[in-house]
Amino acid sequence: MQNLHRQLLIGLVAVAMGAFLALVAIPNWVSAPDKVPHIVLSPLFWPYTIAGLLVLSGVGLVLSGRYSDEIFNADETRIPGAMKRILIFAAIAIAYVRLIPLMGMVWASILAFGATVSLLRPGHPRLAIICAVLFPLILYVFFAHIAGVAVPQGKFVRLP
Amino acid sequence: MSMMDNLAAGFGLVANFQAILSLLIGVVIGTIGGAVPGISVTMSVALALPFTFAMAPINGILLLLGVYKGGVFGGSIPAILIKTPGTPASSATVLDGYPMAEKGEAGRALGMALWASCTADMISNLSLILFAGFLASFALSFRPPEFFTLILFSLTIISGVSGKSMLRGALSAVLGLMLATVGLDLIYGTNRFTFGNPNLMGGLNFIAVLIGLFAIPEIMAVIWSPGDEHGRARGLGANRVSLADYRRCFKAILRGSTIGVILGSIPGIGAAPSAFLSYSEARRKSPHRENFGKGEIEGVAAAEAGNNGVAGATLIPLLSLGIPGDVITAIIIGAFMIHGLQPGPLMFVTNADLIYGLFIGLILSSVFLFVVGSAAIRVFKYVADIPRSILFPGVLVLCVYGVFAVNNTIFDIGVMFAMGAVGFLMLRNDIPAAPFLIAYILGPLLEDNFRQAMLMSGGSPWILFSTPITWIFWALTLFSIVAIIRAAMTSNRQEQGSMGF
Amino acid sequence: MKAGLLGIVGAMTMAVSAPMARAEYPERPITMIIPYGAGGTTDLSARTISEPLGKAVGQPLVMSNIAGAGGATGTVAVKNASADGYTMLFGRVGPHSVSPAMKAMLPYTLDDLRFVAVYEINPIVCVVDPKSGIQTVEDLVARVGEGGVTYSSSGVGSLQQIAAVMVLREFGVEDPVGAATHIPQKSDGEAATSVLNGTATFLCTNSSPLAGFVKAGQLHPLLTTSEERLEGFDAPSATELEKPALTRLVGWTGIAGPADLPDELVAQWSGWLATATEDPRFRQRMEASGSIIELMSPEDSDSFIRGQYEAIRALVDELGMRIEG
Repeated sequence: MQNLHRQLLIGLVAVAMGAFLALVAIPNWVSAPDKVPHIVLSPLFWPYTIAGLLVLSGVGLVLSGRYSDEIFNADETRIPGAMKRILIFAAIAIAYVRLIPLMGMVWASILAFGATVSLLRPGHPRLAIICAVLFPLILYVFFAHIAGVAVPQGKFVRLP
Repeated sequence: MSMMDNLAAGFGLVANFQAILSLLIGVVIGTIGGAVPGISVTMSVALALPFTFAMAPINGILLLLGVYKGGVFGGSIPAILIKTPGTPASSATVLDGYPMAEKGEAGRALGMALWASCTADMISNLSLILFAGFLASFALSFRPPEFFTLILFSLTIISGVSGKSMLRGALSAVLGLMLATVGLDLIYGTNRFTFGNPNLMGGLNFIAVLIGLFAIPEIMAVIWSPGDEHGRARGLGANRVSLADYRRCFKAILRGSTIGVILGSIPGIGAAPSAFLSYSEARRKSPHRENFGKGEIEGVAAAEAGNNGVAGATLIPLLSLGIPGDVITAIIIGAFMIHGLQPGPLMFVTNADLIYGLFIGLILSSVFLFVVGSAAIRVFKYVADIPRSILFPGVLVLCVYGVFAVNNTIFDIGVMFAMGAVGFLMLRNDIPAAPFLIAYILGPLLEDNFRQAMLMSGGSPWILFSTPITWIFWALTLFSIVAIIRAAMTSNRQEQGSMGF
Repeated sequence: MKAGLLGIVGAMTMAVSAPMARAEYPERPITMIIPYGAGGTTDLSARTISEPLGKAVGQPLVMSNIAGAGGATGTVAVKNASADGYTMLFGRVGPHSVSPAMKAMLPYTLDDLRFVAVYEINPIVCVVDPKSGIQTVEDLVARVGEGGVTYSSSGVGSLQQIAAVMVLREFGVEDPVGAATHIPQKSDGEAATSVLNGTATFLCTNSSPLAGFVKAGQLHPLLTTSEERLEGFDAPSATELEKPALTRLVGWTGIAGPADLPDELVAQWSGWLATATEDPRFRQRMEASGSIIELMSPEDSDSFIRGQYEAIRALVDELGMRIEG
């Protein structure tokens, strides 16, 4: 990263994505009818246009990145443990989505709230725990009983 | 009957306790619904609809209009406080509203949002009453070729919300265009990037993408650097909107309202593009251009004027032609029909008293909006003071409930988190999220209208230049592009050496 | 994947509650899935019947919009739900007879659903812009011969698309797919607007969204697919025009469950709907928007839907309209 400017890297990624789109993704995952009266009407036309634009903007970023000395705000401060916390949060998010059908929205939310709070080193841990329990319950009452949404219920405890 | 008679009859309809109460209840429901992410205005109106069946026609319709108006403003509350647009239309409000809240000016931002909303709402209602006939003829002259050029022009607003680097803004927009291709093709119904998954066939849920792009990265940014203190200057500075603020923003509000009225009277565009267009116009004209995106009050005013300006104007095609401008007015048409009323040109003859009653109700609704909005701000303002370690886990849970509620699928929650990861990567690399969102909204419209135009002409591109309206938008597009290039070159020259561009 | 998850949840809740449910179904709120977004024709019909139907059922009905892919997303959610009667679907002509006939890659078939009733019928009306000079279907057919005729619809695989093709075909256009151009729109409202503003020459769609435009003289009706003339539409009916095949071409709304919905639940639903559709206020509201309220038994509903499906399927195969991708 010392040698290559961030903007140049972003540009290279964009060019790679555009190439992937044009060479792999569109031929494989976009289906079009056999006979199309006009090329501009094909379902493929717009995706290929976007792939072209992606490569174009990538090239622009690479060219400007070569001469840029812009400082990215992401690089300004290095915080210890930041990356680790983000990875833990990703795990929380995945578990959250998986747990909703099993436990129901409310119980999964209480766990996710608690887990996220613990990442944030709260100044008032007791208050945080109270909120973790109460807030999902209040939201449940609002969404299920006022807004009439079928909030997912788990297989263990059904709420009224 | 003369107009005066109709006006008097209209007063007779509205001047009763029930009509005024239903309007007020509507505004309250709308504001609350709008303030909860995931409960969109459409959903609030749909939920309120069954209750109107048993009411007198005018009361029922006033209730729904109240919900509509309240909802459009209500969306700005979470947009400013927790960077989570309550409705898609308030996404543009996030750009400067949230930085203001970070600076400890949440009350001032909310106040300006309310003032701008009410002003734009009033202007929009007046335009409906005074220019409905003129603007209605405008609505029918927008066919696919005209739409295509209008949307092409609207895409130039991306430059106005790109922040530091135009190129990275462009990249963000292209990524948005790319994501919007997921789903079934409009013309042939074939699959595009759906991998046989029925959840992908309808395209990615817009609200899930929106919340994933704005709110989740903010939660992750707090996890990146935790702590209970909010931004540095929180608590300092004025926390109420002042008359001087309003005067300073008045031009932006007027401009935003006009944009809202024009876009609102064209069926099928909606409030979000109008808010962004108004925002980027305000930025272009403002002497404080460099403050936009960092907490400039004019940005909040412009965005809110842009989306509220649409609300009254969407009733123009509805009342004068019977055409719904968006999903919300489609529901309101349903409410008319349930009562045996048919909106359209005949209604001005057969039910003129009702129309004038609605006009009076609309004017009243702007006033109610101000009262209800002021009360809401007083309550919600304190959200900004909740310690971050409790606020952001709460935002997380709220977003999950809200995104589920939109389409009742857990899949959408997964989409939200996936978009959150994308949004966080973009945030870390200084790639702005707003162009992504605009492209995500406008991209499919651009493609669909282009292909519809090609179907009309049998593949000949000349149809895109066939009417005066298309010429106007081609000229405007060209003009904007030249202006963008010139602005980029001058700022490049000025900033060389200091920060780089 | 999510639909799979939904299925798992459903299966699990059933495993817990099924033994008791036999005795006293329903014992908790029932989720009614509307496969379209809020505010559409289907949504409006569903929300109108929810009030009398909820009273008949004796438990709250939770209206859940699962929109997307012309009704496919919501249908799959019900297909994968457990057949305990706590997840039911509002069926509609588009996703449940036209799409299965037209789309090869549809993630469900008619065999994945069990219909308990069709309760609303809505005839089709074909309309043109009065300024176009087209007065009758014959005029329209003549215009098709000259070329440049277009028709709009609410999307690919919708009733409107097949209706336009079927009408042209019945009136002697050999190759309606090639002779007239289909310009799909994204909703009922947009489809009507596109005829009003001249994007498309004609549109064949449900009578209810068109009634206002016809009454105000903004659109001119050419024919209705009903057996008798429709009130408010000054146009000949299919029977008058001696095209009985067109009377199959109607919109409908019904209620369905997953394929293995038990017989006693089907009977229970049929009874509830009989009560609900007798509600005078419901009838009046639906009829005000041009619908015909007519409750079909589960067997009749099934044969009606399959009959419509077969007719459309035959036309689709003959004209090569099937969407393979």
